[in-house]
Amino acid sequence: MQTKNIRNFSIIAHIDHGKSTIADRLIEYTGALSAREMEAQVLDSMELERERGITIKAQTVRLNYKGKDGDMYELNLIDTPGHVDFTYEVSRSLAACEGALLVVDAAQGVEAQTLANVYMALENDLEIIPVINKIDLPSAEPELVKREIEDIIGLDTSDAVLASAKSGIGIEAILDQIVEKIPAPAGDPEKPLRALIFDSNFDSYKGAIAHIRVIDGCIKPGMTLKMMATGKTFEVTDIGSFCPAPVNMPELSAGQVGFIAGSLKNVKDVRVGDTVTSAARPAAEALPGYRGVNPMVYCGLYPVDSADYDNLKDALEKLQLNDAALMFEPETSVALGFGYRCGFLGLLHMDVIQERLEREYNLKLITTAPSVIYHVYKTNGEMIRIDNPANLPPTTEIEHIEEPYVKATVIVPNDYVGAVMEISQEKRGEFKNMDYLDVNRVMIIYHIPLNEIIYDYFDRLKSSTRGYASLDYELADYRPSKLVKLDILLNGEAVDALSNIVHTDRAAMRGRQLAAKLKGIIPQQMFEIPIQAAVGNKIIARETVRAMRKDVLAKCYGGDISRKRKLLEKQKEGKKRMKSVGSVEVPQEAFMAILKID
Amino acid sequence: MEISVYVHIPFCRQKCYYCDFPSATGSREMQKEYTKALCQEIAAQGSSLSGETITTLYIGGGTPTLLADELLADILLALRQAFDWSEMAEVTIEANPGTVTREKLDMLRQGGINRISFGIQSFDDELLKRIGRIHSGVEAKAAVKLARAAGFENISLDLMYGLPGQSLKQLKASVETALALEIEHISIYGLQLEEGTMLAQLQQQGTLELPTEEAVETMYDYITGELPRCGYERYEISNFARRGFASRHNLGYWLDRPYIGLGAAAHSYYQNRRFANLSAAAEYMASVFSGKTVAFEEESMTREILMEEFCFLALRTSQGILADAFARKFACSLWSVYGEIISQLTNQKLLQADENGCRLTGLGMKYGNQVFAAFLLDD
Repeated sequence: MQTKNIRNFSIIAHIDHGKSTIADRLIEYTGALSAREMEAQVLDSMELERERGITIKAQTVRLNYKGKDGDMYELNLIDTPGHVDFTYEVSRSLAACEGALLVVDAAQGVEAQTLANVYMALENDLEIIPVINKIDLPSAEPELVKREIEDIIGLDTSDAVLASAKSGIGIEAILDQIVEKIPAPAGDPEKPLRALIFDSNFDSYKGAIAHIRVIDGCIKPGMTLKMMATGKTFEVTDIGSFCPAPVNMPELSAGQVGFIAGSLKNVKDVRVGDTVTSAARPAAEALPGYRGVNPMVYCGLYPVDSADYDNLKDALEKLQLNDAALMFEPETSVALGFGYRCGFLGLLHMDVIQERLEREYNLKLITTAPSVIYHVYKTNGEMIRIDNPANLPPTTEIEHIEEPYVKATVIVPNDYVGAVMEISQEKRGEFKNMDYLDVNRVMIIYHIPLNEIIYDYFDRLKSSTRGYASLDYELADYRPSKLVKLDILLNGEAVDALSNIVHTDRAAMRGRQLAAKLKGIIPQQMFEIPIQAAVGNKIIARETVRAMRKDVLAKCYGGDISRKRKLLEKQKEGKKRMKSVGSVEVPQEAFMAILKID
Repeated sequence: MEISVYVHIPFCRQKCYYCDFPSATGSREMQKEYTKALCQEIAAQGSSLSGETITTLYIGGGTPTLLADELLADILLALRQAFDWSEMAEVTIEANPGTVTREKLDMLRQGGINRISFGIQSFDDELLKRIGRIHSGVEAKAAVKLARAAGFENISLDLMYGLPGQSLKQLKASVETALALEIEHISIYGLQLEEGTMLAQLQQQGTLELPTEEAVETMYDYITGELPRCGYERYEISNFARRGFASRHNLGYWLDRPYIGLGAAAHSYYQNRRFANLSAAAEYMASVFSGKTVAFEEESMTREILMEEFCFLALRTSQGILADAFARKFACSLWSVYGEIISQLTNQKLLQADENGCRLTGLGMKYGNQVFAAFLLDD
């Protein structure tokens, strides 16, 4: 395929605006899959993605399309996630493209997250094709949405495609615009090889697989390749494209997108953002790659069964291979034993990783409440970064603490402005700006402590705006705050994994709520269990789990032992899901209780 | 070899509100047909188990005494003909005080029954009505006296505590009445709400008033203190007996002895395998008459499962797990398998261990399930 007949593009859209459905229609229309092979939303291949209706991982697919000029074109779609936590994934996908479809719901309009991604695409000099989707909805207002796109983003929408992916309207127009508007890749197949690794995955037979965009040169099986950052050399055995299933190809040349596999046994050999070149004829200079990504939210992950510690490590390494944003390092908790401190881009990211570990790697895990990174200035002049409340130094050694604030952008219908301001205010937010996007949609900007965002800000926002609010946030700065460590004592002993850092003003209330919540979670045991919340040496709340009075089954009906046994097995199974903290059996969900209080 | 036999009679005049065991009212005709099927199964099992000697027999239900005298006589005769009985055999029948007459009791004595267990539950009429019993407290007392007069020298009573609206005072009164009857054996069970029962339904509707956990504990403490004080040894978690009157049949369940269950829903344990008969009476009868099998093996027993059951069942008795018996059966030491668990539970004061084995402490009896569950091995 000549580079002039290649188009590489991605799709930018807010959750639920129809990105996956459009992708499916494009696949169907170009015949990459027959209708029979199509399962709804082909690209969201992770079980979790389908269940939640979201895209977590970037996926790619090659489409063959005959353009209006009669030429065959190779269109490479690089799918992107739409959630605020996965901005990093988006930036990686965009770097491998020359253009993007901007999909906006004709009834909903532009959302906060879409905005952030469009700006990112514009920074990357991508050609953007606006697509107004769901135009056959009764509440569709395509003209209004077009104007919104022009006003907010400044894009010309006179050629915007009016589409309904569900009904198959506008799919051909989208394909034609991709061919006509998006520039062909600029690379040169004759130059020394340079290919960007934008993603990777692990296959138990083939080892590590790199997803690449070839910029210059050409790759053929049998070539010896070199990773420019790590210096690792290897022989390529498999080369191919995603159609959408992986299909082997004789070569990948400048402009093309696909995968390579070879003697890459170690997941660490394939680093996303690295440049692949030829060992025999190396390129002089690597591609710019990606900026490093910094996790914003941390939590502890501990195996319920300590024998799973190594399996957890192994699983985290494998997940990290295609999720560079995931960070982890070993940590020890008095209460929970050996585990890992993990860094995530946000709460959804954390949730998704935890669930993948449990499902795909069959691990039973305990997750501690998430924490942000605090800057703790000590009296000796030293500044330390604390991402685990348990590690906060004694108050006597602390001069002051700073916490991260984010710039939160919320877009809502104007009826809900009051609700958004109330919640933001309550979450210690500082009002910055408010803009009318059109007659009834408003963009509100607040500076809010990240700590508050990760509690329940987004949930509260969604529920009090009937789901209309969309949120995007980025780190703004660190500010001094009056923060204290809230400790929880079970049966008189502080449980490090239950400690959290809170604002002084709400320590008392949080303490009471948390103690009450834990009382509901910790089951009755043979002895009474006092639950106390403390700041320093001061007890600020107390609850008691009453002792179980007795626990013994009396009757055995006519020698039916199996029934007795089943009851005991159930009891034992329940116990397995708990962690012994001192003499107290604590269920997993207790460690996340702080998030569940309202 | 010695074995025990359990015979199930799945008929009741009325279902008690706490009961979820397979039983139904059943017409006279149905009872007659069932007896026929049962006798057929007895005969068949008798010939396949020739060489075994019956040391204990237990006819339970349901309400066995609901059957007409001639049907009960048929069953006893069939059992006599089918099996070799030990001369010392303990032969028990369960009886509802509302279903016995002097004639019936005489017939049972003559048929070889030497132990009778009355389901009394309480002597308080108000409570009896609340749990769906068909007899009164006065009838219960009279039935026990009648059994004594008919020559029964081994009489047992079932009592319950933790009943809806029951007070400690009411429980004490029932226990005192039972003691005054000078019976040999008392079983006493805490009420458990089972799914699908009338009481569970009332609970869901929110109209059931149960004593508080604390009140139930006080009742438990009273029973486990009072009965031994009055000469009834607590030989199993829920069972108390005068010296020499512990139920050998029930002990068999706990002490790993083989037993054969006959009749619908009866369970068997034979040669380290567990079987359950079809539980619906109609289905059971149809299978017997058409010559099909009625017993189905439950989960297959691995060595681990056998060990677990050996332990948690033995722990229900006052003698507990005997290290010798364990070693004989499994050809390995109790301590090599359970040493760590036993010492952990001993530290928690739930178990008491010495070179002979281990047994529940008073605290352990109260929290028996915690101990039993700990004896389940990890897969």
